[in-house]
Amino acid sequence: MASNVTIIGRATRVRGRLTGAADLDVQGFVEGEIAVSGDVTIDATGMVGAGVQGRKLVVRGAVKGDLVGEEAVLLEEGARVVGDVRAPRVAIAPGALVRGYVQTGQARAPRAQATTSAAKPAATRVPAPAAARGAATAPAAVRVASASGTAATTAPGKAQGAGAARRPPPPIVPALKKAKGQIAKRKER
Amino acid sequence: MASTVIGAGITIEGEITTDEDVVVAGTVRGKLSAKEAISIEHGATVEADVVGGSLVVAGTLTGNVTATERVDLQPGARVVGNVKAARVTIADGAQFKGNVDMDV
Repeated sequence: MASNVTIIGRATRVRGRLTGAADLDVQGFVEGEIAVSGDVTIDATGMVGAGVQGRKLVVRGAVKGDLVGEEAVLLEEGARVVGDVRAPRVAIAPGALVRGYVQTGQARAPRAQATTSAAKPAATRVPAPAAARGAATAPAAVRVASASGTAATTAPGKAQGAGAARRPPPPIVPALKKAKGQIAKRKER
Repeated sequence: MASTVIGAGITIEGEITTDEDVVVAGTVRGKLSAKEAISIEHGATVEADVVGGSLVVAGTLTGNVTATERVDLQPGARVVGNVKAARVTIADGAQFKGNVDMDV
């Protein structure tokens, strides 16, 4: 019995905190914080309504909350994320939708340190150095490298002129909206 | 193969609702309800009210249990709480404290 892997199945709904030291596979709905020391996979059918912390996060589903990875956060095609993303390595693949602040580098750096990390372009360890350096001088919050083919890159640059760095309106996230409606309905009952 | 598994290292504090089978090898506090089978494995700790189709307990369970079909307490199980089900079995070697209601 593979009891060291935790699976939240498609038809399962968890309300509350999920903590521990195992790997986690979310195919259903978790309406509460996830904080594990193993890897977390949020599948295409998975939805999480709060922050997620883990070693390596792989997202193909919907998340409304902050993603913090000790090693990496990989947002794959189909991912819908509303919230901040922080990890030493962050990858955003073409087809992933993100609305929020993205920071590569040290996992738990508070937002206030964005200024210092923006000063040194070496902070971005992603395979697109030219783009990253350009992003560091011109303030841009997120850049999806679809041209290079590889999954993608980010650059912290929110410090200066955040207003100019605002991107166009965020993508609509139907799954999350739907989930929100479902929550409201459940509460009414 | 169950579709929802709470692994040995995991703790869930809150409510779990599902239409599928559930295997608990970790810790659950709060409420656990499933339409199908629930299995509480050896080494698992559940401090929750449990509602399910059928329930097999080999771990530790504190809370009231309601099952539409049956409840089986296996050897090594430790259950404190009331059990309500049409069929209830308690194996030799299971510890149990609570009321049993078999809908007679």
